[in-house]
Amino acid sequence: MTTYTVYKEQLPGLFEKWSKQYALHVPARLREGFYDLVPWKKDLEIAWDYDVAYNSPKRFVMPPHEALITYDRRTCEAQPVFEAPKQILFGVHPYDVKALNQLDQLMEGGSPDQNYLRRREATVVMVFEPLTVSSSAFWASVGAASVAHGFDLYWTKIGPAAFTVEVGSAKGEELLGMNGPLLSSTAGDKEGARRAKARVLAKARKNALRYNWEETPRLLAKCWDSPLWRRYSQMCLACGSCNLVCPTCYCFDIREETDDKLETGVRSREWDGCMLEGFAKVAGNHNFRPKAQDRYRHRYFRKGKYIYDKIGELGCVGCGRCVRACTAGIANPLKVFNELWEETAHEY
Amino acid sequence: MAKPKIAFFDFAGCEGDQLQIANLEERLLDILGHVEVVSFREVATGHSDDYDVAFVEGSITRPEDEIRLKEIRKNAKVLVALGACACIGGINCLKNFMAENVYREEVYGGQARWFSTYAARPLKSVVHVDAEVPGCPIDPTEFARITKELLQGRAPWIPDFPVCVECKQAGNVCRYEMGRMCLGIITRAGCKAACVSEGAHCWGCRGLVPGANLDAARIVMDRAGSDRKATQDLLRFFLGDTGAAL
Repeated sequence: MTTYTVYKEQLPGLFEKWSKQYALHVPARLREGFYDLVPWKKDLEIAWDYDVAYNSPKRFVMPPHEALITYDRRTCEAQPVFEAPKQILFGVHPYDVKALNQLDQLMEGGSPDQNYLRRREATVVMVFEPLTVSSSAFWASVGAASVAHGFDLYWTKIGPAAFTVEVGSAKGEELLGMNGPLLSSTAGDKEGARRAKARVLAKARKNALRYNWEETPRLLAKCWDSPLWRRYSQMCLACGSCNLVCPTCYCFDIREETDDKLETGVRSREWDGCMLEGFAKVAGNHNFRPKAQDRYRHRYFRKGKYIYDKIGELGCVGCGRCVRACTAGIANPLKVFNELWEETAHEY
Repeated sequence: MAKPKIAFFDFAGCEGDQLQIANLEERLLDILGHVEVVSFREVATGHSDDYDVAFVEGSITRPEDEIRLKEIRKNAKVLVALGACACIGGINCLKNFMAENVYREEVYGGQARWFSTYAARPLKSVVHVDAEVPGCPIDPTEFARITKELLQGRAPWIPDFPVCVECKQAGNVCRYEMGRMCLGIITRAGCKAACVSEGAHCWGCRGLVPGANLDAARIVMDRAGSDRKATQDLLRFFLGDTGAAL
Protein backbone atom coordinates (compact mmCIF):
# COMPACT_ATOMS: atom_id res chain seq x y z
CA MET A 1 0.00 0.00 0.00
CA THR A 2 1.37 3.41 -0.93
CA THR A 3 1.80 5.87 1.90
CA TYR A 4 2.60 9.55 1.48
CA THR A 5 3.65 12.17 3.97
CA VAL A 6 1.63 15.37 3.83
CA TYR A 7 2.22 18.59 5.75
CA LYS A 8 -0.45 20.78 7.30
CA GLU A 9 0.42 23.76 5.10
CA GLN A 10 -0.62 21.73 2.04
CA LEU A 11 -4.13 21.21 3.37
CA PRO A 12 -5.84 24.55 2.68
CA GLY A 13 -4.84 24.28 -0.98
CA LEU A 14 -6.15 20.73 -1.24
CA PHE A 15 -9.39 21.56 0.57
CA GLU A 16 -9.89 24.54 -1.73
CA LYS A 17 -9.54 22.29 -4.80
CA TRP A 18 -11.69 19.48 -3.42
CA SER A 19 -14.47 21.79 -2.32
CA LYS A 20 -14.88 22.99 -5.90
CA GLN A 21 -15.89 19.48 -7.01
CA TYR A 22 -17.27 17.96 -3.85
CA ALA A 23 -19.28 18.91 -0.80
CA LEU A 24 -16.42 18.70 1.70
CA HIS A 25 -17.17 17.88 5.34
CA VAL A 26 -14.53 18.18 8.05
CA PRO A 27 -14.53 17.73 11.83
CA ALA A 28 -15.03 20.94 13.80
CA ARG A 29 -16.01 21.99 17.30
CA LEU A 30 -19.70 22.80 17.73
CA ARG A 31 -19.34 23.99 21.34
CA GLU A 32 -17.29 22.97 24.36
CA GLY A 33 -17.06 19.18 24.28
CA PHE A 34 -19.17 18.67 21.14
CA TYR A 35 -17.79 18.01 17.68
CA ASP A 36 -19.29 17.14 14.35
CA LEU A 37 -18.51 16.89 10.65
CA VAL A 38 -19.49 20.26 9.18
CA PRO A 39 -19.20 21.80 5.71
CA TRP A 40 -15.68 23.10 5.15
CA LYS A 41 -15.12 26.76 4.59
CA LYS A 42 -11.98 28.84 4.39
CA ASP A 43 -10.32 29.46 7.78
CA LEU A 44 -12.50 26.90 9.56
CA GLU A 45 -10.48 25.41 12.39
CA ILE A 46 -10.31 21.65 12.06
CA ALA A 47 -10.77 19.76 15.32
CA TRP A 48 -7.97 17.21 14.90
CA ASP A 49 -8.40 16.05 18.48
CA TYR A 50 -12.15 15.45 18.34
CA ASP A 51 -13.26 12.44 20.36
CA VAL A 52 -16.45 11.54 18.49
CA ALA A 53 -18.57 13.28 15.85
CA TYR A 54 -21.90 14.14 17.50
CA ASN A 55 -23.84 12.82 14.51
CA SER A 56 -22.85 9.57 12.88
CA PRO A 57 -21.76 9.58 9.23
CA LYS A 58 -24.78 7.51 8.16
CA ARG A 59 -26.65 10.78 7.53
CA PHE A 60 -24.43 11.36 4.50
CA VAL A 61 -25.36 8.08 2.84
CA MET A 62 -28.81 7.60 4.31
CA PRO A 63 -30.26 11.02 5.11
CA PRO A 64 -33.01 11.41 7.74
CA HIS A 65 -35.51 12.24 4.99
CA GLU A 66 -35.10 10.96 1.47
CA ALA A 67 -37.47 10.96 -1.51
CA LEU A 68 -37.72 7.53 -3.16
CA ILE A 69 -40.29 7.97 -5.91
CA THR A 70 -42.57 10.60 -7.37
CA TYR A 71 -45.96 9.52 -8.65
CA ASP A 72 -48.79 10.91 -10.70
CA ARG A 73 -52.27 10.06 -9.48
CA ARG A 74 -53.86 10.90 -12.83
CA THR A 75 -51.78 8.57 -14.96
CA CYS A 76 -50.84 6.09 -12.22
CA GLU A 77 -47.19 6.37 -13.15
CA ALA A 78 -44.19 6.49 -10.86
CA GLN A 79 -40.59 7.59 -11.32
CA PRO A 80 -37.68 6.69 -9.06
CA VAL A 81 -35.78 9.57 -7.43
CA PHE A 82 -32.03 9.25 -7.05
CA GLU A 83 -29.96 11.90 -5.37
CA ALA A 84 -26.28 11.33 -4.96
CA PRO A 85 -24.31 14.51 -4.32
CA LYS A 86 -20.55 14.17 -4.70
CA GLN A 87 -19.12 14.49 -1.22
CA ILE A 88 -15.90 14.03 0.73
CA LEU A 89 -16.10 12.99 4.37
CA PHE A 90 -12.73 14.07 5.73
CA GLY A 91 -11.58 12.92 9.14
CA VAL A 92 -13.97 10.06 9.82
CA HIS A 93 -12.77 7.81 12.64
CA PRO A 94 -12.10 4.11 11.88
CA TYR A 95 -15.03 2.79 13.96
CA ASP A 96 -17.41 4.96 11.92
CA VAL A 97 -15.89 3.63 8.70
CA LYS A 98 -16.45 0.14 10.02
CA ALA A 99 -20.08 1.12 10.51
CA LEU A 100 -20.26 2.40 6.92
CA ASN A 101 -18.71 -0.83 5.65
CA GLN A 102 -21.31 -2.76 7.57
CA LEU A 103 -24.12 -0.68 6.07
CA ASP A 104 -22.61 -1.32 2.61
CA GLN A 105 -22.79 -5.05 3.17
CA LEU A 106 -26.34 -4.97 4.48
CA MET A 107 -27.62 -2.61 1.80
CA GLU A 108 -26.05 -4.64 -1.01
CA GLY A 109 -27.49 -7.89 0.22
CA GLY A 110 -30.91 -9.20 -0.71
CA SER A 111 -32.66 -6.54 -2.76
CA PRO A 112 -29.92 -3.91 -3.20
CA ASP A 113 -30.86 -0.46 -1.92
CA GLN A 114 -30.23 1.68 -4.99
CA ASN A 115 -30.67 5.01 -3.22
CA TYR A 116 -28.10 4.08 -0.60
CA LEU A 117 -25.63 2.54 -3.04
CA ARG A 118 -25.65 5.56 -5.34
CA ARG A 119 -25.00 7.95 -2.49
CA ARG A 120 -22.20 5.72 -1.20
CA GLU A 121 -20.67 5.54 -4.67
CA ALA A 122 -20.53 9.35 -4.79
CA THR A 123 -18.91 9.56 -1.36
CA VAL A 124 -15.18 9.76 -0.74
CA VAL A 125 -14.19 8.61 2.75
CA MET A 126 -11.01 9.87 4.37
CA VAL A 127 -10.26 8.21 7.68
CA PHE A 128 -8.44 10.00 10.43
CA GLU A 129 -6.74 8.11 13.24
CA PRO A 130 -8.29 9.46 16.47
CA LEU A 131 -6.10 11.38 18.90
CA THR A 132 -8.53 11.29 21.81
CA VAL A 133 -11.22 8.86 22.93
CA SER A 134 -14.70 9.73 24.12
CA SER A 135 -15.32 8.65 27.72
CA SER A 136 -18.28 6.51 26.61
CA ALA A 137 -16.48 4.81 23.70
CA PHE A 138 -15.23 1.23 23.73
CA TRP A 139 -14.43 0.63 20.06
CA ALA A 140 -11.07 -0.94 20.80
CA SER A 141 -12.74 -3.93 22.42
CA VAL A 142 -15.32 -4.72 19.73
CA GLY A 143 -12.95 -5.13 16.82
CA ALA A 144 -13.50 -1.61 15.49
CA ALA A 145 -10.15 0.02 16.19
CA SER A 146 -9.00 -0.18 12.60
CA VAL A 147 -10.35 -0.76 9.13
CA ALA A 148 -8.63 -2.40 6.21
CA HIS A 149 -11.04 -1.23 3.50
CA GLY A 150 -13.90 1.14 2.84
CA PHE A 151 -11.80 4.29 2.73
CA ASP A 152 -10.07 6.28 0.00
CA LEU A 153 -7.35 7.77 2.20
CA TYR A 154 -6.24 7.01 5.75
CA TRP A 155 -4.74 9.98 7.57
CA THR A 156 -2.57 9.67 10.68
CA LYS A 157 -1.14 12.67 12.49
CA ILE A 158 2.52 11.93 13.19
CA GLY A 159 3.64 15.33 14.41
CA PRO A 160 2.38 18.86 15.08
CA ALA A 161 2.12 19.56 11.36
CA ALA A 162 2.71 16.26 9.56
CA PHE A 163 0.52 13.36 8.49
CA THR A 164 1.03 10.02 6.86
CA VAL A 165 -1.64 9.27 4.30
CA GLU A 166 -2.23 5.67 3.32
CA VAL A 167 -3.89 5.27 -0.05
CA GLY A 168 -7.03 3.15 -0.12
CA SER A 169 -8.23 3.79 -3.66
CA ALA A 170 -7.13 5.26 -6.98
CA LYS A 171 -9.62 8.09 -6.51
CA GLY A 172 -8.09 8.90 -3.13
CA GLU A 173 -4.61 9.02 -4.60
CA GLU A 174 -5.79 11.26 -7.43
CA LEU A 175 -7.43 13.68 -4.98
CA LEU A 176 -4.32 13.79 -2.81
CA GLY A 177 -2.12 14.53 -5.82
CA MET A 178 -4.21 17.39 -7.15
CA ASN A 179 -1.70 20.04 -6.08
CA GLY A 180 1.41 18.44 -7.48
CA PRO A 181 3.80 15.58 -6.77
CA LEU A 182 3.68 13.79 -3.43
CA LEU A 183 6.33 12.79 -0.96
CA SER A 184 6.55 9.09 -0.18
CA SER A 185 6.63 8.34 3.52
CA THR A 186 9.96 7.35 5.00
CA ALA A 187 10.30 4.33 7.26
CA GLY A 188 10.51 6.79 10.15
CA ASP A 189 7.18 8.40 9.19
CA LYS A 190 5.52 5.01 9.01
CA GLU A 191 6.90 4.15 12.42
CA GLY A 192 5.44 7.44 13.66
CA ALA A 193 2.03 6.39 12.36
CA ARG A 194 2.33 3.01 14.04
CA ARG A 195 3.14 4.70 17.34
CA ALA A 196 0.29 7.19 17.00
CA LYS A 197 -2.04 4.25 16.55
CA ALA A 198 -0.59 2.46 19.58
CA ARG A 199 -0.99 5.61 21.70
CA VAL A 200 -4.68 6.02 20.96
CA LEU A 201 -5.31 2.30 21.34
CA ALA A 202 -3.87 2.44 24.86
CA LYS A 203 -6.42 5.16 25.68
CA ALA A 204 -9.28 3.37 23.98
CA ARG A 205 -8.68 0.11 25.83
CA LYS A 206 -9.61 1.72 29.15
CA ASN A 207 -13.27 0.93 28.41
CA ALA A 208 -13.45 -2.69 27.43
CA LEU A 209 -15.59 -5.77 27.33
CA ARG A 210 -14.51 -8.32 29.92
CA TYR A 211 -14.49 -11.04 27.30
CA ASN A 212 -13.64 -11.51 23.65
CA TRP A 213 -16.32 -9.70 21.60
CA GLU A 214 -16.85 -12.79 19.45
CA GLU A 215 -18.50 -14.46 22.44
CA THR A 216 -21.35 -11.91 22.39
CA PRO A 217 -23.83 -13.86 20.23
CA ARG A 218 -23.36 -16.99 22.33
CA LEU A 219 -23.67 -14.92 25.49
CA LEU A 220 -26.93 -13.35 24.33
CA ALA A 221 -28.38 -16.70 23.30
CA LYS A 222 -28.31 -17.61 26.98
CA CYS A 223 -29.76 -14.33 28.20
CA TRP A 224 -33.19 -14.05 26.56
CA ASP A 225 -34.89 -14.32 29.96
CA SER A 226 -32.40 -12.26 31.93
CA PRO A 227 -33.93 -9.92 34.54
CA LEU A 228 -31.58 -7.25 33.22
CA TRP A 229 -33.89 -6.34 30.32
CA ARG A 230 -36.71 -5.40 32.64
CA ARG A 231 -34.46 -3.66 35.15
CA TYR A 232 -33.09 -1.26 32.56
CA SER A 233 -36.14 -0.87 30.37
CA GLN A 234 -38.26 0.42 33.26
CA MET A 235 -36.55 3.74 32.63
CA CYS A 236 -36.91 3.59 28.84
CA LEU A 237 -38.61 6.67 27.38
CA ALA A 238 -39.06 4.91 24.02
CA CYS A 239 -37.58 8.00 22.35
CA GLY A 240 -35.49 6.14 19.77
CA SER A 241 -32.42 8.31 20.44
CA CYS A 242 -30.15 5.25 20.79
CA ASN A 243 -31.29 4.00 17.36
CA LEU A 244 -31.06 7.32 15.61
CA VAL A 245 -27.56 8.24 16.76
CA CYS A 246 -26.30 4.71 16.06
CA PRO A 247 -24.00 4.57 13.01
CA THR A 248 -25.23 1.08 12.11
CA CYS A 249 -29.00 1.40 12.69
CA TYR A 250 -30.66 1.80 9.33
CA CYS A 251 -34.41 1.18 9.77
CA PHE A 252 -36.76 3.57 8.06
CA ASP A 253 -40.46 4.27 7.69
CA ILE A 254 -42.24 5.08 4.43
CA ARG A 255 -44.47 8.14 4.04
CA GLU A 256 -46.40 9.65 1.19
CA GLU A 257 -47.67 13.13 0.55
CA THR A 258 -49.55 14.47 -2.45
CA ASP A 259 -49.18 17.99 -3.77
CA ASP A 260 -51.80 20.61 -2.97
CA LYS A 261 -53.66 19.97 -6.24
CA LEU A 262 -53.91 16.27 -5.30
CA GLU A 263 -52.40 15.36 -8.65
CA THR A 264 -48.83 14.25 -8.01
CA GLY A 265 -47.02 13.04 -4.92
CA VAL A 266 -43.77 11.95 -3.33
CA ARG A 267 -43.05 8.75 -1.48
CA SER A 268 -40.18 9.16 0.92
CA ARG A 269 -38.44 7.38 3.74
CA GLU A 270 -37.56 8.70 7.16
CA TRP A 271 -35.39 7.35 9.94
CA ASP A 272 -37.25 5.03 12.27
CA GLY A 273 -36.11 3.01 15.26
CA CYS A 274 -37.01 -0.26 16.95
CA MET A 275 -37.13 1.41 20.37
CA LEU A 276 -40.13 3.51 19.30
CA GLU A 277 -43.44 2.09 20.42
CA GLY A 278 -45.03 2.47 16.98
CA PHE A 279 -42.17 0.70 15.18
CA ALA A 280 -43.65 -2.79 15.49
CA LYS A 281 -47.23 -1.69 15.01
CA VAL A 282 -48.80 -3.46 12.02
CA ALA A 283 -52.23 -3.75 10.43
CA GLY A 284 -55.14 -3.80 12.84
CA ASN A 285 -53.05 -1.86 15.39
CA HIS A 286 -51.37 -5.10 16.45
CA ASN A 287 -47.98 -4.52 18.05
CA PHE A 288 -45.58 -7.44 18.09
CA ARG A 289 -43.16 -5.72 20.52
CA PRO A 290 -45.57 -3.82 22.76
CA LYS A 291 -43.43 -3.58 25.91
CA ALA A 292 -40.35 -1.44 26.47
CA GLN A 293 -38.68 -4.59 27.75
CA ASP A 294 -39.22 -6.40 24.42
CA ARG A 295 -37.91 -3.47 22.47
CA TYR A 296 -34.91 -2.91 24.73
CA ARG A 297 -33.89 -6.55 24.50
CA HIS A 298 -34.42 -6.53 20.75
CA ARG A 299 -31.94 -3.72 20.26
CA TYR A 300 -29.18 -5.57 22.16
CA PHE A 301 -29.91 -8.80 20.33
CA ARG A 302 -29.79 -6.87 17.10
CA LYS A 303 -26.38 -5.39 17.94
CA GLY A 304 -24.91 -8.48 19.56
CA LYS A 305 -26.46 -11.42 17.75
CA TYR A 306 -28.70 -10.86 14.74
CA ILE A 307 -26.18 -8.78 12.78
CA TYR A 308 -23.42 -11.21 13.76
CA ASP A 309 -25.50 -14.12 12.49
CA LYS A 310 -25.83 -12.34 9.16
CA ILE A 311 -22.32 -11.00 8.51
CA GLY A 312 -20.03 -12.26 11.27
CA GLU A 313 -19.37 -9.01 13.09
CA LEU A 314 -21.04 -7.11 15.90
CA GLY A 315 -23.70 -4.57 15.02
CA CYS A 316 -22.07 -2.29 17.57
CA VAL A 317 -18.83 -0.47 16.71
CA GLY A 318 -18.37 0.94 20.20
CA CYS A 319 -18.66 4.63 19.31
CA GLY A 320 -20.53 5.30 22.55
CA ARG A 321 -23.04 7.69 20.95
CA CYS A 322 -26.08 5.91 22.38
CA VAL A 323 -24.54 6.04 25.84
CA ARG A 324 -24.38 9.82 25.58
CA ALA A 325 -27.72 10.28 23.83
CA CYS A 326 -29.79 8.27 26.30
CA THR A 327 -31.30 10.78 28.74
CA ALA A 328 -32.51 7.92 30.93
CA GLY A 329 -28.97 6.52 31.16
CA ILE A 330 -29.91 2.99 30.16
CA ALA A 331 -28.43 2.67 26.66
CA ASN A 332 -24.99 1.22 27.14
CA PRO A 333 -23.94 -1.87 25.16
CA LEU A 334 -20.65 -2.17 27.05
CA LYS A 335 -22.34 -2.17 30.45
CA VAL A 336 -25.18 -4.45 29.35
CA PHE A 337 -22.89 -7.02 27.70
CA ASN A 338 -20.49 -6.98 30.67
CA GLU A 339 -23.31 -7.41 33.16
CA LEU A 340 -24.77 -10.30 31.19
CA TRP A 341 -21.30 -11.83 31.11
CA GLU A 342 -21.05 -11.61 34.90
CA GLU A 343 -24.57 -12.96 35.31
CA THR A 344 -23.72 -16.07 33.31
CA ALA A 345 -20.07 -16.43 34.37
CA HIS A 346 -20.82 -19.45 36.53
CA GLU A 347 -21.94 -21.33 33.43
CA TYR A 348 -18.46 -21.33 31.94
CA MET B 1 -68.97 14.70 -6.35
CA ALA B 2 -69.86 17.87 -4.48
CA LYS B 3 -67.01 19.59 -2.71
CA PRO B 4 -66.96 18.98 1.05
CA LYS B 5 -68.07 22.03 3.01
CA ILE B 6 -65.73 23.13 5.75
CA ALA B 7 -66.12 25.59 8.61
CA PHE B 8 -63.81 27.05 11.23
CA PHE B 9 -64.81 27.71 14.84
CA ASP B 10 -62.99 29.05 17.84
CA PHE B 11 -63.35 28.90 21.60
CA ALA B 12 -60.91 30.17 24.23
CA GLY B 13 -57.69 30.81 22.35
CA CYS B 14 -55.83 33.42 20.36
CA GLU B 15 -57.02 32.29 16.92
CA GLY B 16 -53.35 31.96 16.07
CA ASP B 17 -53.95 28.58 14.47
CA GLN B 18 -56.39 30.03 11.95
CA LEU B 19 -53.81 32.72 11.32
CA GLN B 20 -51.27 29.99 10.59
CA ILE B 21 -53.68 28.59 8.01
CA ALA B 22 -54.11 32.04 6.46
CA ASN B 23 -50.29 32.19 6.39
CA LEU B 24 -50.27 29.34 3.88
CA GLU B 25 -51.11 32.10 1.35
CA GLU B 26 -50.71 30.79 -2.24
CA ARG B 27 -50.83 27.18 -1.06
CA LEU B 28 -54.18 27.89 0.59
CA LEU B 29 -55.75 28.65 -2.79
CA ASP B 30 -54.86 25.21 -4.16
CA ILE B 31 -56.01 23.38 -1.04
CA LEU B 32 -59.24 25.36 -0.78
CA GLY B 33 -59.92 24.53 -4.42
CA HIS B 34 -61.05 21.08 -3.26
CA VAL B 35 -63.47 22.34 -0.62
CA GLU B 36 -66.13 24.96 -0.04
CA VAL B 37 -65.44 27.19 2.94
CA VAL B 38 -68.72 28.17 4.55
CA SER B 39 -67.31 29.79 7.65
CA PHE B 40 -63.84 31.21 8.33
CA ARG B 41 -64.20 34.49 10.11
CA GLU B 42 -60.51 35.32 10.13
CA VAL B 43 -60.39 35.25 6.34
CA ALA B 44 -63.92 35.86 5.02
CA THR B 45 -67.31 37.12 6.15
CA GLY B 46 -70.44 34.99 6.12
CA HIS B 47 -71.49 31.87 7.99
CA SER B 48 -73.57 28.75 7.41
CA ASP B 49 -74.48 25.82 9.62
CA ASP B 50 -74.36 23.44 6.66
CA TYR B 51 -70.88 21.88 6.76
CA ASP B 52 -69.15 18.48 6.60
CA VAL B 53 -65.86 19.19 8.31
CA ALA B 54 -65.49 21.46 11.34
CA PHE B 55 -62.06 22.74 12.32
CA VAL B 56 -62.30 23.85 15.92
CA GLU B 57 -59.75 25.98 17.70
CA GLY B 58 -59.51 26.90 21.40
CA SER B 59 -60.33 25.17 24.65
CA ILE B 60 -63.58 24.84 26.56
CA THR B 61 -63.62 27.18 29.55
CA ARG B 62 -67.33 27.90 30.21
CA PRO B 63 -70.42 25.70 30.60
CA GLU B 64 -72.07 27.43 27.63
CA ASP B 65 -69.09 26.47 25.40
CA GLU B 66 -70.14 22.85 25.80
CA ILE B 67 -73.58 23.52 24.31
CA ARG B 68 -72.07 25.28 21.30
CA LEU B 69 -69.45 22.58 20.76
CA LYS B 70 -72.04 19.80 20.93
CA GLU B 71 -74.06 21.66 18.32
CA ILE B 72 -71.00 21.82 16.05
CA ARG B 73 -70.36 18.12 16.62
CA LYS B 74 -73.95 17.37 15.63
CA ASN B 75 -73.67 19.32 12.37
CA ALA B 76 -70.25 18.04 11.32
CA LYS B 77 -69.38 14.64 9.89
CA VAL B 78 -65.75 15.16 10.82
CA LEU B 79 -64.51 17.31 13.70
CA VAL B 80 -60.87 18.32 13.71
CA ALA B 81 -59.25 19.92 16.77
CA LEU B 82 -56.89 22.70 15.79
CA GLY B 83 -53.95 23.65 18.01
CA ALA B 84 -52.83 23.01 21.57
CA CYS B 85 -55.84 24.66 23.26
CA ALA B 86 -58.29 22.46 21.37
CA CYS B 87 -56.21 19.25 21.47
CA ILE B 88 -54.83 19.27 25.03
CA GLY B 89 -56.29 22.32 26.74
CA GLY B 90 -52.98 24.15 26.36
CA ILE B 91 -51.96 27.15 28.40
CA ASN B 92 -55.58 27.87 29.34
CA CYS B 93 -55.21 24.98 31.78
CA LEU B 94 -52.68 26.99 33.80
CA LYS B 95 -55.64 28.46 35.61
CA ASN B 96 -56.70 24.98 36.72
CA PHE B 97 -53.86 25.08 39.25
CA MET B 98 -55.07 28.35 40.76
CA ALA B 99 -57.92 29.01 43.15
CA GLU B 100 -61.03 30.07 41.25
CA ASN B 101 -61.42 33.37 43.09
CA VAL B 102 -57.79 34.24 42.30
CA TYR B 103 -57.96 33.81 38.53
CA ARG B 104 -61.44 35.31 38.25
CA GLU B 105 -60.28 38.39 40.11
CA GLU B 106 -57.13 38.55 37.99
CA VAL B 107 -59.01 38.40 34.68
CA TYR B 108 -62.29 40.18 35.33
CA GLY B 109 -61.48 42.34 38.34
CA GLY B 110 -64.51 43.84 40.01
CA GLN B 111 -66.87 42.35 37.39
CA ALA B 112 -65.86 38.75 38.14
CA ARG B 113 -69.38 37.81 39.20
CA TRP B 114 -70.78 38.75 35.78
CA PHE B 115 -68.92 36.00 33.92
CA SER B 116 -69.24 32.26 34.05
CA THR B 117 -66.07 30.20 33.83
CA TYR B 118 -64.80 26.78 34.90
CA ALA B 119 -61.70 24.63 34.62
CA ALA B 120 -60.26 24.78 31.08
CA ARG B 121 -60.34 21.53 29.11
CA PRO B 122 -59.68 20.22 25.61
CA LEU B 123 -62.45 19.49 23.09
CA LYS B 124 -62.11 15.74 23.57
CA SER B 125 -63.27 16.14 27.18
CA VAL B 126 -66.67 17.21 25.80
CA VAL B 127 -67.19 15.60 22.39
CA HIS B 128 -65.62 12.94 20.18
CA VAL B 129 -62.76 14.39 18.13
CA ASP B 130 -61.95 12.67 14.83
CA ALA B 131 -58.55 14.16 14.12
CA GLU B 132 -56.07 16.52 15.73
CA VAL B 133 -53.66 19.08 14.36
CA PRO B 134 -51.51 19.66 17.46
CA GLY B 135 -49.10 22.44 18.35
CA CYS B 136 -48.93 26.00 19.57
CA PRO B 137 -49.27 27.30 17.03
CA ILE B 138 -50.05 24.57 14.52
CA ASP B 139 -47.56 23.88 11.74
CA PRO B 140 -49.33 25.05 8.58
CA THR B 141 -47.64 22.37 6.49
CA GLU B 142 -48.98 19.71 8.84
CA PHE B 143 -52.46 21.24 8.59
CA ALA B 144 -52.16 21.10 4.81
CA ARG B 145 -51.04 17.46 4.87
CA ILE B 146 -53.78 16.35 7.27
CA THR B 147 -56.41 18.19 5.22
CA LYS B 148 -55.20 16.46 2.06
CA GLU B 149 -55.27 13.09 3.80
CA LEU B 150 -58.87 13.72 4.89
CA LEU B 151 -59.75 14.73 1.33
CA GLN B 152 -58.30 11.48 0.02
CA GLY B 153 -60.22 9.48 2.58
CA ARG B 154 -57.06 8.38 4.38
CA ALA B 155 -56.71 8.21 8.15
CA PRO B 156 -54.91 11.44 9.08
CA TRP B 157 -51.47 10.68 10.46
CA ILE B 158 -49.65 12.53 13.20
CA PRO B 159 -46.35 11.29 14.62
CA ASP B 160 -46.66 8.78 17.48
CA PHE B 161 -43.04 9.24 18.59
CA PRO B 162 -41.42 11.93 20.75
CA VAL B 163 -39.60 15.08 19.63
CA CYS B 164 -36.25 13.35 20.31
CA VAL B 165 -36.64 11.61 16.95
CA GLU B 166 -36.85 14.88 15.07
CA CYS B 167 -34.01 16.36 17.11
CA LYS B 168 -31.79 13.46 16.13
CA GLN B 169 -32.88 13.84 12.50
CA ALA B 170 -32.00 17.52 12.69
CA GLY B 171 -28.67 16.70 14.36
CA ASN B 172 -29.30 18.99 17.36
CA VAL B 173 -27.15 18.70 20.47
CA CYS B 174 -29.43 17.27 23.17
CA ARG B 175 -30.51 19.83 25.80
CA TYR B 176 -29.91 17.26 28.53
CA GLU B 177 -26.29 16.89 27.40
CA MET B 178 -26.04 20.66 27.83
CA GLY B 179 -27.38 20.29 31.36
CA ARG B 180 -30.77 21.77 30.49
CA MET B 181 -34.32 20.52 30.84
CA CYS B 182 -36.48 19.72 27.83
CA LEU B 183 -39.91 18.18 27.36
CA GLY B 184 -39.00 16.60 24.04
CA ILE B 185 -38.62 13.22 25.74
CA ILE B 186 -42.39 12.92 26.30
CA THR B 187 -43.84 15.28 23.71
CA ARG B 188 -45.40 14.21 20.43
CA ALA B 189 -43.19 15.07 17.47
CA GLY B 190 -44.28 16.72 14.23
CA CYS B 191 -42.86 20.20 14.77
CA LYS B 192 -39.47 19.20 13.28
CA ALA B 193 -38.06 19.98 16.73
CA ALA B 194 -38.57 23.66 15.93
CA CYS B 195 -37.86 25.11 19.39
CA VAL B 196 -34.75 23.04 20.04
CA SER B 197 -33.39 23.72 16.55
CA GLU B 198 -33.75 27.45 17.32
CA GLY B 199 -31.77 27.09 20.55
CA ALA B 200 -34.60 26.81 23.08
CA HIS B 201 -35.99 23.62 24.61
CA CYS B 202 -39.26 21.76 24.07
CA TRP B 203 -42.26 23.14 25.95
CA GLY B 204 -44.58 20.22 25.22
CA CYS B 205 -47.10 22.16 23.12
CA ARG B 206 -48.01 19.13 21.00
CA GLY B 207 -49.11 17.12 23.99
CA LEU B 208 -47.93 13.80 25.36
CA VAL B 209 -46.67 11.13 23.02
CA PRO B 210 -48.80 7.95 23.28
CA GLY B 211 -47.35 5.69 25.96
CA ALA B 212 -45.13 8.41 27.47
CA ASN B 213 -43.11 7.01 30.39
CA LEU B 214 -43.88 9.80 32.85
CA ASP B 215 -42.23 8.16 35.87
CA ALA B 216 -38.94 7.89 33.99
CA ALA B 217 -39.36 11.38 32.55
CA ARG B 218 -39.74 12.91 36.02
CA ILE B 219 -36.55 11.22 37.20
CA VAL B 220 -34.66 12.39 34.10
CA MET B 221 -36.00 15.94 34.50
CA ASP B 222 -35.24 16.06 38.20
CA ARG B 223 -31.65 15.02 37.48
CA ALA B 224 -31.31 17.85 34.98
CA GLY B 225 -33.40 20.54 36.63
CA SER B 226 -32.29 22.92 39.28
CA ASP B 227 -35.29 22.21 41.52
CA ARG B 228 -38.59 20.39 41.62
CA LYS B 229 -40.51 23.62 41.04
CA ALA B 230 -38.83 24.15 37.67
CA THR B 231 -39.91 20.67 36.57
CA GLN B 232 -43.44 21.29 37.77
CA ASP B 233 -43.71 24.67 36.04
CA LEU B 234 -42.55 23.23 32.76
CA LEU B 235 -44.94 20.28 32.96
CA ARG B 236 -47.88 22.52 33.79
CA PHE B 237 -47.20 25.01 31.02
CA PHE B 238 -48.91 23.09 28.22
CA LEU B 239 -49.61 19.71 29.78
CA GLY B 240 -51.90 20.87 32.59
CA ASP B 241 -54.77 18.69 31.44
CA THR B 242 -52.62 15.55 31.13
CA GLY B 243 -51.26 13.10 33.67
CA ALA B 244 -47.83 14.67 33.31
CA ALA B 245 -48.50 17.76 35.41
CA LEU B 246 -47.59 17.34 39.05
